[in-house]
Amino acid sequence: MTAPATVSAPPTAGRQGNYAGAVTRLVAFAADVGASWGIFTVSAAALTFAIGLVSGHTVNLNDGRVTSLVTLFCLIVWEFIYFAYQWSLSGKTIGMAVLGIRVVASDGQPITGRQAVIRTITLPLSFLFFGLGFLGILLNKDRHAWHDRMAKTVVVYSWDARAARLRWLAKQDPSPPA
Amino acid sequence: MEQLVESIAQRVVGLVIEAIDVNALVSKVDMDALLANVDVDAIVSKVDVDGLIDRVDVEKIIDRVDVDKIVGRVDVEKIIDRVDVQKIIDRVDIQGIIGRVDIDALVEQTELGTIIAHSTSGVASEALDLIRAQGVGLDDFVARWVNRILRRKSDDWPKGPPALVASLATVDVPALPEGADR
Repeated sequence: MTAPATVSAPPTAGRQGNYAGAVTRLVAFAADVGASWGIFTVSAAALTFAIGLVSGHTVNLNDGRVTSLVTLFCLIVWEFIYFAYQWSLSGKTIGMAVLGIRVVASDGQPITGRQAVIRTITLPLSFLFFGLGFLGILLNKDRHAWHDRMAKTVVVYSWDARAARLRWLAKQDPSPPA
Repeated sequence: MEQLVESIAQRVVGLVIEAIDVNALVSKVDMDALLANVDVDAIVSKVDVDGLIDRVDVEKIIDRVDVDKIVGRVDVEKIIDRVDVQKIIDRVDIQGIIGRVDIDALVEQTELGTIIAHSTSGVASEALDLIRAQGVGLDDFVARWVNRILRRKSDDWPKGPPALVASLATVDVPALPEGADR
């Protein structure tokens, strides 16, 4: 085993608790959109198939009439549940868990259910004016987007990069301990 | 009278034996002809081999044998050199042996299942680490360029919520192996 040494932190080391950057947040959000839409689509297809089996009629959930409105309403409700439930439960969605980030209150405490709901409802506001609300992630000191500011939350890295680096180092140096 | 005859006979026999050159006598004997007349099978058939063996104390003989000394005189390397291992392997029915192994029982009795699970989770963990490290690297890259375009310095900006951020100026990490990419 090589002797421990105090060295400057590498770029990705010791980031747990730091404000998450724009790229990681964007990729996590894209992953969440994909996951939530994928789950909704598969569920809708299964529901359509089941209705068809029971009633004997082919059902089209996107026929441009009332059914489409119902589908759209279900989608909005589903998206709300997807984000609000996961944020209130653990502060992270599936995409955020994969990318190693999570939502916390501005003071670092775990997010409350109320904050999770407010953040979910106000999330679409950040998309207004060509996503102007997201610019704060790049420009502000505390990386606040509009919905973060309204819900009094921040997004931080929950991934222990230093532990990952130590795991990597352990694999690189398999010499037995003295 | 009998005693006299007996003493005379003993005396005569002694004198005859002394006079005889045994070596010369033996050299004149045709041993091959003699042995040819001997019926060895008949002699052997009369020998009680089992009785003979029963009278041998095998344990006593074994006790007197110095096995270590015998083994010490054996050249094992030479014996191994003479063994055709490939030939032995060729004669082993490996497929047959594998077919007789109860893999499920083996997995149950050993830590193999745990090892497989650890190995799998290790691969997944490495993949996640890689994705996240790429994300963090890109975050830094974008933040650096934004700061450069806006001509501002962010060194004194808060790293994160005070409750979460510890001292990150320096960290204790093991020294990197030689040649590793820092």
